[in-house]
Order: sequence, then structure tokens, then C-alpha cells
Amino acid sequence: MRLQNRQKYIHSLLRESAIGYGFMAPTLLVLAVFVVLPILYAVFLAFQKVQLLGGIEYEFVGLRNFARLMADDRVWIALRNTAEYVAIVVPSQTVLALILATTLNAGVRGQTGWRILYFLPTITSSAVLTLIFMWIYNTNGLLNQFLAFIRLPTYNWIGDPAVALKGIMIMNIWSTAPFFMVIYLAALQEIPQSIYEAAKIDGANAWQQFWYVTLPLLKPVTFFVVAMGIIGTFQLFDQSYIFSNGSGGPNNATLTIVLLIYQYVFRDLQMGYAAAIAFLLAAIIITITLLQQWLFGKQTMN
Amino acid sequence: MSQLRFWQQSILYLLLTLYAILTLIPFLWALSASFKPLSEIVSDSIHFLPQQFTLENYHQIFSQPLFLRWLLNSVIIATSVTLLNLLLNSMAGYALARLQFFGKQFWFFLILAVLAVPAQVTLIPMFLILKTFGWLNSYQGMIVPAMVNATFIFLMRQFFINFPKELEEAATLDGLTPFQTFWHIVLPLAKPALTAQAILVFMGSWNNFLLPVVILFDPEMFTLPLGLNTFKGQYISYWNYIMAASMIFTLPVLGIYAFFNRYFIQSVTFTGSKG
Amino acid sequence: MDVIKTRLIGDAAPDVFFLDALEAPFLMENNVLEPLNSYITPDFDLADIEETLLRPFTLQNQIFGIPKDYSTLALFYNKQAFVDAGLDHPPVTWDELLVDAKQLTLDRNQNGRIDRYGLGMIPELARQAYLIRSFGGQVVDKQGYATFASDAGLVGLESLVTQYRDDRTSARPIDVGANSGIEMFGQGKAAMAIEGNWAIPFFQDTFPNLEYGTAEVPRMNNQPGTMVYTVAYVMNRQSQHKSEAWELMAYLTGKTGMEQWTRSGLALPTRKSVAETLQYDHDPLRSALVAGVSYAMPWQVGNYPAAVMNQFNNQFISVMLGEQSLQPAMLRAQEQANQQIKAAE
Repeated sequence: MRLQNRQKYIHSLLRESAIGYGFMAPTLLVLAVFVVLPILYAVFLAFQKVQLLGGIEYEFVGLRNFARLMADDRVWIALRNTAEYVAIVVPSQTVLALILATTLNAGVRGQTGWRILYFLPTITSSAVLTLIFMWIYNTNGLLNQFLAFIRLPTYNWIGDPAVALKGIMIMNIWSTAPFFMVIYLAALQEIPQSIYEAAKIDGANAWQQFWYVTLPLLKPVTFFVVAMGIIGTFQLFDQSYIFSNGSGGPNNATLTIVLLIYQYVFRDLQMGYAAAIAFLLAAIIITITLLQQWLFGKQTMN
Repeated sequence: MSQLRFWQQSILYLLLTLYAILTLIPFLWALSASFKPLSEIVSDSIHFLPQQFTLENYHQIFSQPLFLRWLLNSVIIATSVTLLNLLLNSMAGYALARLQFFGKQFWFFLILAVLAVPAQVTLIPMFLILKTFGWLNSYQGMIVPAMVNATFIFLMRQFFINFPKELEEAATLDGLTPFQTFWHIVLPLAKPALTAQAILVFMGSWNNFLLPVVILFDPEMFTLPLGLNTFKGQYISYWNYIMAASMIFTLPVLGIYAFFNRYFIQSVTFTGSKG
Repeated sequence: MDVIKTRLIGDAAPDVFFLDALEAPFLMENNVLEPLNSYITPDFDLADIEETLLRPFTLQNQIFGIPKDYSTLALFYNKQAFVDAGLDHPPVTWDELLVDAKQLTLDRNQNGRIDRYGLGMIPELARQAYLIRSFGGQVVDKQGYATFASDAGLVGLESLVTQYRDDRTSARPIDVGANSGIEMFGQGKAAMAIEGNWAIPFFQDTFPNLEYGTAEVPRMNNQPGTMVYTVAYVMNRQSQHKSEAWELMAYLTGKTGMEQWTRSGLALPTRKSVAETLQYDHDPLRSALVAGVSYAMPWQVGNYPAAVMNQFNNQFISVMLGEQSLQPAMLRAQEQANQQIKAAE
């Protein structure tokens, strides 16, 4: 009898696995060929000195790329810049996205209109955004004229390394929040109205409903928003490239990890070293994501 | 909303309006600039409305001999990528969230892990793979690698985690196969998530620049961002064309967003009338 | 350019493509370009092409590219501003430039914010490298290692920094909310700018009322100096159709093809005969640019230009902002660049 149960169990497990892999098969195939394979190639390169042009040549160098990385000041400066950036931008954009989505989901008049307006920063092209921000941030720009008008000190927002990164941060929060707002809006739609009605009957006010009903139910999506925020900001590239014309200056103030990788891969074709830096970055992101997954609690994950 | 006092409502709408100004002004500024000649954009005077209104920038762009071809390429690629992603990401996300199978945790971890590797280091290997397949300069080279997306598999998984179990169990009792359950029960209920995904995937594919610039080199095969990139001179930035081009990129995405927004709104009015 | 490298790696590059002098050394060294010596016939008249422009595409007597067009830098000056300041000719020496810049710098309403600077400048190696040479310095040595921080190399740069920081008679485009040097000059926010041929059609289209003249870049240390940027047609070594490829190149860089290509004035011809036919050496705006080609420094800095350029720009801006003094900053930039190059070799 027991044996039969066990066989049954194994049988159902196999059946379920077959179904699971059925659902996953196309995805796994595409990811294997176009994502995992290139990554494996990059892993291979991280242990080589590579000559790609004019006939590909490899020379195994063991951990030399990683040793070089440990001794490279610019890597640690870039990492510090990037970490500071992540620490400010991710919480800000997550909270902003959540506020925008909840407000626009609460039945304000003319919702469609607001939603379209608030979505605009995400679709405005980064070239246009940068141009506008340069125009606002330059020493005689809009921001300084406003600050001077209300008698506050003015800054050289673009030129001054102390503030250059902050300018990029504000721009990034503003332009990324709508992206996550769209996701939060969708998640809010999927919360059944009946749950709120039950809460209302229990005498919960609007704030309590948000805090005890909405937020916990949004947890899985918040995990996504934070994780993607971390990945996106750790991979910051465009803005710092445009602001510094690719150099990462002044004095490395706008240097980010991916800008560094770009400098090595595309300009100098030092694929091996660039791959080593990329894996340092990936290891950091994965560690933080796992930590975050653990913080978010196991029950929401399974 | 009805519980809010009048002054609370006023403050709410004031804040909504202030934020809307912050999002709208750059957009309107770009829109306005797209109707200005370059001389007016780079001149020092700041006028919000064009002083010398011109359609020349749009005319220049539309009269590119290959403009329609680029538009067509972009539409074909972005539409196919979006449809494939909607189906495949949702299937994978559903499996990772709801099905029990051997190695599930591993695959989820792998999908998170690949997101952490920056595209800059995988671009050259990816190029070499596409070349091996003979897919450079082709639609399949643009579509197949992009037909699934780890980000949105992750997103769909997070959405399906809270999905009510009872519905699936009922479906199983009714004799539906897992795929039928997924197709007839789960997907229709995931409309808001699918909508969000559709908008964001379309936008990503529509704006994609890094991959096409490397793998598409026949002007006939260019996508819009690639084709219009030729207006960025080496020494001179033709802001007038860049602005007009950015409007041409932006409007389809905005249209799709406005169109799909009906799905968000629909259920709101439904729940609203109920409450 | 980055794209061309990727395609060369994948053997998917076109038979003929154009190549910036800056990127040439790396590709010449790595055997991906076809040497052209055996294709060049006496008919082609190689001697007609400016020697300065051919050299960047030559390695060990092998010619790898035929320059198609070029631009040097020249001094652009606002004629009205000069008249208003009582100056009757553009500066000929750098010392004159510094004095003139003081006269030309203007704060119209005396609010402490300068409305017009004497000189618009771009603190990048690509634009300033010739100043490193004016007192005998070198940007890179023969092996391509950075050497710009030598005492001789710093003198010219120091003059730029002093003007910007102490005299306050020069400014960067972003200081005044402009996107480029030519925009800044066109808007009248700088009375002088050191720019290239690209400025001429730009001013014609966007600032048609601007009255300006050009002159050769003022001499520093009594040395004539300027930059020259050039692009050549090169042939892919993997090409399957080499003779056809050469035929195309020979036409595009030959006398007839080049004359057609450069007639509009958007680019300057690399052939002396074409420049003469089109009378660019007598053109009031272009003669200063054409004159520079004989003594100009080609913009080319060894096999690893990105390392040299990025490190220089990164630190030089910081000096301009007053965060560090020139010598330690440049020494650091040089050392960092050389570490990168060494690791790459």
C-alpha cells in the first residue's frame, strides 16, 4: 500500500515536472542560446588575455584579471559612486512609484489623463532628457536662476563633481518612477475589492487599509521593483556617459562600473578584464538581491 | 474620495497638478522644439512657443527615402517581440510561481542571475552567435533573442504568486489540462499584468539601440532609432531633427499606453461602482 | 567606430569603410587592414595627397588608408565684438590672445555674471593636444605610452588653466548653457573660439547674421600649432573583392571623386590639386584652415587612444574646476593611462 503511494507520488512528481518543463521549454531554449551562452563565453574570457582582432587568440592568465581588478583604484571609485547612487535612487524611485500608483488608483477624477501625463518621463528619449537637464542645470540655467531668485546659493550643477552625481540621480528617479508606477498600477488592479470591503467592515480607515491590506499584498511586486531598481541603477551608464562625454570625470566623479566596462570593451577591446569587472558587479547584485529576498521573507517567495 | 474633506481634496489636486507640470514641461518643450528651426533652438532666447513655426524637421524626416521601411521594420520587430514575450514570459512566470517541478528554484535563481550581468560584456559573444546562425541583418536576429525576457518572467512570477489557488483547483476538477487552465483561467485574470508587460516590452523593443546598431548594417533593415540616428552629426547636433525624431518614437508608445490603459480603467470603474 | 571593431571580429565588416586617424594605429597593428602599396599606380598621384594626412595611416612604410577629407582647427573671431573692443586684428600669438580676451570679456549689466567671454574652450585632449607640443612636450611616446605630464608638456596647458581660473576670460560651453563650442560662439557668449571646418556650414545655416572671421591658431612659444582630424578609406583584409574595392577607393579619393565630394564645403579635400581647383586656399574663411595642415598635429595618440584620452579629460576637467593643481593631476592621469595600456599589451 505504502509502496503504491510512493509510486503514485513519484509518478505525480514526474508528471508535474514534465508540465513545468513544458511551460519553461521555449524560454529555457532561448535563454540558453542567447543569454547563458554569451555569459559563459564571458566567464571563459575573464580568465584569458584575449586578442580578438585579426584572428582570435587566447592566453590563459588564471586569476590575473581578478588580481588586476583588486589593485585598480578606478574599479573601487566606480563601485563607491554606484553604491551611493543605488542607496539614494532605489528607495526614492520605489516610494515615488508607489505613491503615484496608489494616488492614481484611488479614484481621482480624470485618472486616464493623469496616468498618461505621469507616464511621459519614461518615454521621453534620453537624448532629449539630457538636453533639457543640461539646460536646467547649467550655471546660468533655470535652476540657478530660481535659486538666486529665492536667495539661495547657486551651484555649478554639471561641472562640480560634488553635485554632478546628484543631478543625474534626480533625473533618473524622475524618469524611472513611471516605469514602476505602471507595474504597481497593474498589481493594485489585481487586489480583489472584497478584501477591502472586509477590512472596512472591521472598521479599518483608508490609511490602515493601505498599510495592512495593500502593502502586504504588493510585497511580491515590491520585491520585483526593488530588485529591478537595484539591477538598473547598478548598471547605470547612459546618463554618466552623456554628462562626462564618456570619461567619467571630473576626477572620476561620474565614473560607474558599466561605464568602466564600456571603456575597456569597446574602446580597447580588453574583453578579459572587462568580463572580470562585470562578474564582480554581477556578484554584488546577486548578493544584494538574495539578501533582499531573505528580508522580504520566505512566505512571499514560495 | 468622498470621505476626504474639501481642503484635503484641494491639496491632493494641487499636488497632482504640480507633479503633472514636472512631467509635462520637458515633453512639451521637446514637442515645441520639434517645430523650431535649428537656429531658433540654439539661439539664446528662451521662448516656449516656436517663434518661427516650421514643419521642415518632420518633412525632412518623412522624406528620408527609407523612412517608411524603417517604420515598418520597427513595427514588425516590436510587435512580434511583444506578442512572443506576452505568451512565453507568462508561461515561464506561471510555471515558476505555481507549478511544482524539479529544479524550479535553480531556474528562478538563474533568471535573476542573468539579469545581473551587464549587456555590454555579452554583446560581442551575442554578435558572434548571431553571425554563426547567419542571422545578421535579419528580422529573426532581432526577434528570436528578444522573444523572452528575464525581467518580465520575473515580473510575471511575482504577479502569479498571489493568484487564488481555488480557481486552479476548480479547473483541474473540471478536467482542464494545465495549459488549458493557464490559457482560459489564468491569463484572462492576469490582464492588468499582461497590459503592463505589453507596454513595457513594446517600449523596450521600440527604443532598442545597442543590439541593432551592431547587427543591422543594411540600411533597408534599419529600425527607426538606427535610421534616425544619422541625423546626429559628428560635430554638429541637429537638435531640430533629434527632437522631431524623438516625437516620432514617442507617440506610438504613448498611443499604445493610452490604448491599454482602458484595461486599468475598466476594472476601476467596475470596482468603483461596486464600492 | 566601436561597431566596426565588433564587425571585424565577426568577419562581417564591409570591403571598404572609413576609419578615423585616432583608431588607425590599433587596426594597422592588428593586421585587419589591407596594405595598399601594391594597388597604388602612378596615375593615382599619391604625392598630391597632403603628407601630414597620409602619415597617420602609414605603418612601417605600408600605406593602409587613403585620407578622404580633413579639418584643422582655426581661430574663429566675432568681428563685431572685436570692433567694439577696439581691436583691429585677430591675435597672432597666444600672449596677444590672452590680452585680447580680457578686452573682449563683458559683463553688460555689471551683475557679476559674465555675458560674453573672450574665448570659448573645450577642455579635452582632442582639442588641446597641440598645446602640449608647443614647448616641446609629447602626448604619447613611440610605443604609445602617455607622456603628456612632462614639464615641457604642461606649460601650454597651464596657460589655459590660468586663463580659465584666474583671468576668467574663457569658459566652457556648459558653463554658459551651450551644447557645443560653435553654439556658444554663435550665441555671442564667446568672442573667440578655436573650431574646425564644421563650424562654417553650421554658422551659415543657424546664425546667418553672425559676422565672423577666421585666422590661424595663435602661436604659442612662437611655434605654429593646431590639430588636424582626418578620416581615410581603408580596405578590409578579409575582402573577397579586393580589386573592385580598390577601384571604389581610387575613385572616391581620386581627383574627380574628391572634387565632387568636397565641393559643397562640408569637408576639406586632402588633395592639394583639388583644394587649388576649388580655391579653398584663397577662400576668406577656409584659407586659415588650409594653411594649418602643413604644421598641424594629426589627432592620433597611439594604440590605446581611449585610455590616454579618458584619463586626460577626466583629470583635466578637475584641474579646470580648481580641485587639484595641474602637475599632480596630470601625473596621475598619465600613470593611470599607462597602467591600462601596459595591461592591455
